[in-house]
Amino acid sequence: MIATRATESVHPKTSFYHEPGRYRGILSWILTVDHKRIGLLYFIFVIAFFFSGVVLGFFMRLEMIAPGGAIMKPQTYNSLFTLHGIIMIFLVVIPAIPTVFGNFFLPIQIGARDVAFPRINLLSWWLYISGAVIVALSIFTGEGPPDTGWTFYAPYSLRTTVNVPLAVFGVFILGMSSILTGINLVTTTHRLRAPGMTWKRLPLFLWAIYATSWVQILATPVIGITMVLIFLERFFGVGVFDPTKGGDPILYQHMFWIYSHPATYIMILPAMGIVSDVVPVFARKKIFGYMAIALSGMAIAAVGSLVWGHHMFVSGQSDFANLLFSLLTFLVAVPSAIKVFNWVATLHKGSIVLEPPLLFCLGFIFLFSVGGLTGLIQGALAPNVHLHDTYWIPGHFHYIIFGGMGFGLFAAFHYWFPKMFGRMYHRKTAKIAWVIMFVGFNVFYFSMLLLGWEGMPRRYYDYLPQFRTLHLTATFGSWILIAGLIIMFANLFRGLFKGEKAEDNPWNAATLEWQIASPPPTENFQNIPVIQSGPYDFKEFAKNG
Amino acid sequence: MDEAKAFILEETRDDTGAKLGMWLFILSELLLFGGMFILYSAYRYKNPVDFHHASRELEVLLGTFNTLILLTSSLSMAASVSALQRGERKLSMVLLMATMALGLLFLVNKGFEWGMKIEHGIYPSSPILLARAKGEILFFGLYYVMTGLHGLHVLVGVCVLCGMLMLIAKDRINQMRFVPLENAGLYWHLVDIIWIFLYPLFYLIT
Amino acid sequence: MKPEEKIPGASYKVYALVWIILIILTGMTFSFAGMELGGWTVLIALAIAGTKSGLVLNYFMHLRSERQLIFRVIIPLVMAVFLVFILLTFADLAFRGGMR
Repeated sequence: MIATRATESVHPKTSFYHEPGRYRGILSWILTVDHKRIGLLYFIFVIAFFFSGVVLGFFMRLEMIAPGGAIMKPQTYNSLFTLHGIIMIFLVVIPAIPTVFGNFFLPIQIGARDVAFPRINLLSWWLYISGAVIVALSIFTGEGPPDTGWTFYAPYSLRTTVNVPLAVFGVFILGMSSILTGINLVTTTHRLRAPGMTWKRLPLFLWAIYATSWVQILATPVIGITMVLIFLERFFGVGVFDPTKGGDPILYQHMFWIYSHPATYIMILPAMGIVSDVVPVFARKKIFGYMAIALSGMAIAAVGSLVWGHHMFVSGQSDFANLLFSLLTFLVAVPSAIKVFNWVATLHKGSIVLEPPLLFCLGFIFLFSVGGLTGLIQGALAPNVHLHDTYWIPGHFHYIIFGGMGFGLFAAFHYWFPKMFGRMYHRKTAKIAWVIMFVGFNVFYFSMLLLGWEGMPRRYYDYLPQFRTLHLTATFGSWILIAGLIIMFANLFRGLFKGEKAEDNPWNAATLEWQIASPPPTENFQNIPVIQSGPYDFKEFAKNG
Repeated sequence: MDEAKAFILEETRDDTGAKLGMWLFILSELLLFGGMFILYSAYRYKNPVDFHHASRELEVLLGTFNTLILLTSSLSMAASVSALQRGERKLSMVLLMATMALGLLFLVNKGFEWGMKIEHGIYPSSPILLARAKGEILFFGLYYVMTGLHGLHVLVGVCVLCGMLMLIAKDRINQMRFVPLENAGLYWHLVDIIWIFLYPLFYLIT
Repeated sequence: MKPEEKIPGASYKVYALVWIILIILTGMTFSFAGMELGGWTVLIALAIAGTKSGLVLNYFMHLRSERQLIFRVIIPLVMAVFLVFILLTFADLAFRGGMR
């Protein structure tokens, strides 16, 4: 293959792992200000929380394998799906890519030594951990974990005697972490780009992170205040969402979804950014329509902030709002479609190298498209009346969040693993894991779409016998999926310790992180580079390599 | 090797970046209160008469006085930053202390206002309040939450300014390096701006 | 060069003038509230509050003297975001009884 163009020949012994900074031992990690260490700190915990979320999901599916009670009481089931949602959404899917890969790679990809505010970066991580601890406390103290669903709808969330205040306080703290990360990454992108790194030469991953960070800054405060209000309602009875005091529960839903819909774009945009960075490398071809992809991400962030009412079509919202939100929802599909089209156009007539990162991206493109199309169906008012609060909805969002963001995250794992750890995992095993996951995923979540279509309500502990077969199928699918996940993670874990040493640029990519050592040195670059080519200029790259 | 290390460890200072970060934080604070303003608008829209009645029970003069206090504190804050930029360290510190004093005065007034209301039995979930019209319950709910959240921000602001005062005293913030004070000033002005909107919306409903 | 020329918008005179205008505007809000203007009062109050905020933003917070695009964009951006949130919420609230 083409020789790598590592312009920095740094002795491997001086990787950032070997330069602990001011402190020693564990303190050199939890008190670090090095963006790469902070990225890894997030990495460990995101994966740990992902595992706990999967375990919760596993037990949910086990309970739902047959009608009637199987292994738990209804109250437990309510808490399980609530916690599954809180953990997966606030502790895994929202933070994962920006805090792990955004932190680790944004500075390197722009030619900087660190983010704009390294200490605030550390604070963000501590807030993340604190929020997680508080959520954990809500599980193990008092009357037990919340049973409201991760959406905490009023007035039930005001009345139920379980640990809603603790949980919403945890969410509030996690929101603060998210806002600070957004501020850090936006400022870094504006201020620390190396000479020659113009906006039009930014890797598309960074355009995605940039758009995401704006949503984090502007939307998160709204859920912040909403969680504070739930908290205050519970203790002081302020009245703001309580119908007995004149409050309007639908207003709660507005406030909640004003953040939580844009939050889905915080979840998906970074994953789309990864696909945009990875596909060109493994098609050996410049991305098709660079500016279209960059700007469509900004458009998704903007228009995506206007559609939240599509979660509320049957809530009692006005017909006029329903019409508006439905129309806007259809509009937001357009920029996403532009991306899908451009990725496929990039692959077309490319020299495909079917490595694991690309496989996961292909998975993303297919699964996200299914999710997106089902989104259009439920975005239309008439079908929504039948589909809302059925299994169709979790079917839809798991295609998008897990099939989309999840596969994008796994693509990032497999793409950047050699750079972060200096080792390579076993690629064939990764591909096998992918096949198993892909099969299990579709058996599982397509069954959910069918269940919803047939009328099976969501968040229900029990169900009518007619849904039995599909539930059985879904549970089996979940086992296959989990088997695939186990193989994937075991393979990566093994690669960490027993994998072959990786070259600096095993994928022959042209973005800056591949021009430095694997793993990178603490200061990233010996000398700040002067950029003269674009992120996907493989021809240029080969010429100068 | 040591030279290289020294080069790498040079202090990189980016004042514009620091300012940008502070502004982005301010945006998030504006939307935090913005969420509450949305709720306020919704409930005022639904309960115009009740809001009017409830508003008449607030101490307009005290509220107006507090507005003047905060506006003046913004003046002293801005002047404090300018003074430091000109190297007038002592003046800067005096103006900073004036700002803090005005902030504390604001909080004392707020304390009196709340105290008077609570004495009259008007506070969230009080029997007297619950016996009133729904719109009035909501008005006072929003009043306590919004002015309370704002007051908390004033308190935090006073503490931040105190910290700045100490750093100026230790010469860690000075004419050559004043961005932390400028950023603290930005925060203080934000708190002023929020009150600029709270004042007419709670005290001057006709 | 006088200090206030080196640092744009930082002169004590300008601050004092802005402060006087702010006080006057506060007085105006107060008097308008006393008049019987019906629905206009809240609009006038918001307009005056907006003007006061604009003065604080531009002069006390020096937004007026910032040259870079990002600083000029952020306040209009947050206003647009807030406007969108409140308008779409009212698309619900103001039309609950059905469209007329």
